[in-house]
Amino acid sequence: MIQAKELTEKLEMFACMQCGKCSAGCPESGKSGLNIRRIIRELTVSPLCELKQTDPLWDCTSCSACTLRCPRGLQPHELIIGLRGALIETGEIPVTARDSLEAVFKHGNPWGRAKQKREEWTEGLAIKNLSDSQAEILYYVCCAAAYDPRVQNVARSLAGIFNESGSDFGILGIEESCCGSETRRMGEAGLFEMIVEDNMKLFNSRGVKHIVATSPHCFDALKNKYNAEAITVQHYTQYVAGLLDGGKLSLTKNLDKIVAYHDPCYLGKQNDIYDEPREILKAIPGINYLEFDRRREKSLCCEGGGGRMWLEGTNTGERLAETRVKDAAEMGVDIIATACPFCLLTLEDAVKITGFEEKILIKDISELIVEAL
Amino acid sequence: MDIIVCVKRVPDTNEADIQISGNFINTKGLPFDVNEWDKYAVEEAVRLKEKYGGTVTAITIGDSESDDALRRAFATGADAAVRVSDDIFNGSDAVASAKILAGAISDIKHDLVLFGAQASDDGYGATGQAAAAILGLPYASLVIKLEADNGKIRATRELEAGMNEVVELPLPALLTIQSGINEPRYISIMGIRKASSKEIKVLSAGEISVNTAEIGNNSGTKTEKLFLPPVLKQTEFLTGSVDEIAVKLAQILKDKGGTF
Repeated sequence: MIQAKELTEKLEMFACMQCGKCSAGCPESGKSGLNIRRIIRELTVSPLCELKQTDPLWDCTSCSACTLRCPRGLQPHELIIGLRGALIETGEIPVTARDSLEAVFKHGNPWGRAKQKREEWTEGLAIKNLSDSQAEILYYVCCAAAYDPRVQNVARSLAGIFNESGSDFGILGIEESCCGSETRRMGEAGLFEMIVEDNMKLFNSRGVKHIVATSPHCFDALKNKYNAEAITVQHYTQYVAGLLDGGKLSLTKNLDKIVAYHDPCYLGKQNDIYDEPREILKAIPGINYLEFDRRREKSLCCEGGGGRMWLEGTNTGERLAETRVKDAAEMGVDIIATACPFCLLTLEDAVKITGFEEKILIKDISELIVEAL
Repeated sequence: MDIIVCVKRVPDTNEADIQISGNFINTKGLPFDVNEWDKYAVEEAVRLKEKYGGTVTAITIGDSESDDALRRAFATGADAAVRVSDDIFNGSDAVASAKILAGAISDIKHDLVLFGAQASDDGYGATGQAAAAILGLPYASLVIKLEADNGKIRATRELEAGMNEVVELPLPALLTIQSGINEPRYISIMGIRKASSKEIKVLSAGEISVNTAEIGNNSGTKTEKLFLPPVLKQTEFLTGSVDEIAVKLAQILKDKGGTF
C-alpha cells in the first residue's frame, strides 16, 4: 500500500470525472491487473490518497495513450510514474527493475554491460569521436543500439546513411551514458536528475548544439525532460526525412516488398511524429506501403516502454507484439518497419514466437534505407 | 538485538579489460560497488532489526571512498557506521583484515555479527570465520535462512549437492551470509542522499584493539604472483539442423557433467 496525497494533488487528479477513456484506450487494460481509471478513483476517494494494490503499476508501458485521450487534459501516465517513485523510495520493487536501475547507476546502461564496450559497434567504421574532434551533429547512439547485437545494425546503418549524405557527425564513444528515459519512467527521479546533470555537463564540454538520436526514448527524454533549450534534438527519422527533402540522399535501389509501419509510442503518441517515417518509407522505390488499422494515435503499443524491457508485468497472456505480427500476417505484409530499438526487439521476438519467422521480417527504417541506397 | 554487519567496497571486473601491475590490479576506470554477499548481509541485518528491534551498525575497512558502502547501509536501515582507516592496513590478507575488524567489533555492543560469505575481489571466504575465532564467537557459514529464538539463533546452512543443515547457536554469534538469503531492497539515489548527512565514525589503528605487528604488510600470507589464467580454446560452434545441434549439445552437457 502507498499513500500519495501530494502527488495526486500535484497532478490534479481530483479533476478526473471517471469517464474511463483512459482505461478504454490503455493497451494493458483487460490483459493485466492495470486499470488506470480505477487507480485514480481509489486515490481520490480515500482521505490520504491510498492505493492498496501496487503490483499492476509495473504493467504500465508508459505509452501515454491515457494522457492523449483524457478530455480533462490530465496526465495519468505521469501519475503511474509518480506512484512507482513512491515504491522506489520504499525499496520494494521488482528485482529485475532493481537490477536494471542499479546497472544504469553503476555502468551507465540498463543491461550492466561494461562502459568500455560501448563503442564496439563502430569496429571497422571511421566515425569521429567528440572527445578529440569536432562535429556539427552528435549522433546519440543509445544503450540498445550500442550493445544489443541486433540493434547494433541500426547504429551501423545510420552511420552509413550519415556518411552517404555528407553529414558532419560524431559520437561520444565510451563517454556516452544512458539518457535515463526508462529510469525516469520507472520512477527513479533522483537517478534521472543525476543522469541529466552528468549528461548536460558532458554535452556542454563537447560543444553539442544538435543531437540526432537512434531511439524515440532517448529523443523524448533529451528533447522534453533535459531543459536543454540551446540544443536541437531530433529523432533520426526527422533528420533523414530532411536529408531526402534537401536532396542530400537519394534512394535508388528497388525494394519490391509489402511494408507496413509500426508507430513507436514515444515517437508518435508522445511527440506527434507520424509523417516523417512514412515519408521515408514511401520514398523507397518499389515498396508497396500498407497501413495497419491501429496506426498513428491509435497505434498498438509493443509493450517495450516504461521500463517493460526489464519488467515482466502481471499478465501472462498474448503479448501485444504478437497481436501486431498476427495483424501483419493477415494483411500479407513482408516487412514490419519501425523506428525504435525496443519495438524492433519486441516485434522480432514476437515473429519467432508466432512462427512467422520465415514469412515476416522486422526491420528498422534505417536498415531499409541502406538497402535502397 | 544489536547487530554488526561488515561490508566491503569492491571493483566490478565484469567484461573489464584487466590490467595487472606487479601484484595489484589497476582498478582505475573500473566501476565499484558493495560486495554482493555483503548486500545480502546488510539486508538481513535490517530485516532482523525490523522484526526483533535493536540496532544495526555497519563497519568497513578503507579510505573515504568506502563511505559509499556505509551510506548504502544507512539507506537500507542501519543506525550507525564505522570506517576503520589507516595506511598501515594496506596489504592485509583475510586473517589480518579479520584482526582489524575484530578490533573494531569488540568495542561495540553486539548480539550478532554478520559478514558476507565471501568477497568478489579476493574471494578468500575466510574473513568472517577468522573474526569469529579472534572474537571467541560461535559461528556458522553460508547461511541461507535465519530465525532468532530466546537468546539463540537458528541458522540454515547451504551445503553441497542441494543439502541444507540447520544449526543452533547461542548469542552472541557470528554468521557469514550466502547470497539468496533474501532479496535486497532497491536503494534509491534519494535514499543515499538522505543518508549522506549521517555521521560515519572514522577510527585509526591506534583507536582500535589491534596488534599492528600482525596486519598490513606483516600479514601471514604474501602475494607472490598475480596473473590471468591462460585462455583455453574450448569454444565449439555446433552446426547442422536444430535437431542435430540439440543432440550434440545434450551429449556435450552429459560428457562434461552439466545439467543431466
